[in-house]
Amino acid sequence: MTLQAVPIAPSGPAPSLFKRNPPIAGEAEAIESAKAGDAEAFSKLYALHKRRVYTLCLRMLGNVSEAEDMTQEAFLHLFRKIGSFRGESAFSTWLHRLTVNLVLMQLRKKGLQLVSLEETISPTDEDSPKRDFGSRDPQLTGSVDRVTLERAVAALPPGYRMVFVLHDVEGYEHNEIATMLECSTGNSKSQLHKARLKLRELLRQNGQSSQPAVLKEAAQ
Amino acid sequence: MTQNDQNLSAPISCADFQERLPDLFASGSNGVPDDLTLQHHLDTCENCANLVRDLQYIADQARMLLEPAEEEPSPGVWANIQSKLSAELAIPELPLTPKLQTD
Repeated sequence: MTLQAVPIAPSGPAPSLFKRNPPIAGEAEAIESAKAGDAEAFSKLYALHKRRVYTLCLRMLGNVSEAEDMTQEAFLHLFRKIGSFRGESAFSTWLHRLTVNLVLMQLRKKGLQLVSLEETISPTDEDSPKRDFGSRDPQLTGSVDRVTLERAVAALPPGYRMVFVLHDVEGYEHNEIATMLECSTGNSKSQLHKARLKLRELLRQNGQSSQPAVLKEAAQ
Repeated sequence: MTQNDQNLSAPISCADFQERLPDLFASGSNGVPDDLTLQHHLDTCENCANLVRDLQYIADQARMLLEPAEEEPSPGVWANIQSKLSAELAIPELPLTPKLQTD
């Protein structure tokens, strides 16, 4: 199974992506200069976008070394292909899609190509969120800071984490995720729901334990 | 019997309600049901109401993660990019360090 190519320039409107990608001062000039092979412009584009690309890779891959390798690949790919950037979407949106595509290709190369992603992105029963039909636990509201949430996301099983990051953090729609992951829209919805349930479980354990569950799971 | 009571079908279980949650959240209503039977369950079941509130909260808090984390790739990443690009694109002098330090 090969990765479904996702157009780098979105074919339809992607309001959430555009909204959070306002123009960056000096970026347009750097893009044009980079197209002409200006070395300084390459370094400026890297400096402008390295944290965003690295953070995305790290969240999707959950591994510093792999995230650095993929950041490198993303920028190499960017610099090789920058001539094809037409400005039809925000540059950061274009770079973001390019990075997501590369990460997904990498994941498939690592073994996801032989079986359906619908199966492989499902975690084991042990990792699955527990059903909740009768407990009276305290609510999470107001109790979760960014660091705690970041750790909990890192502790998610890879398939859950990928869909959660793409949908809830990065703002992709279920139909876009389904195309990228070659799964059904229903599967994307289901994976997202399970990811949120698992996060709730991790965050509640975190609130009740002196040794945060998210730290224990992240260390495994 | 009120109009609302007439529109209500048989009460549903927590399991049935929670089975509908993925679609409910994906519909754009953020877990708030249009269906009167589901709404009635939500209004009367503290456990499911807490669950929905928590899932709404998690989805809201996820936006905190949109901004890049403080971490950034090690200097070796740029060094590798520099080296490969210089060779591939015949760019003789990529800067040793990226021009800006912040996003």
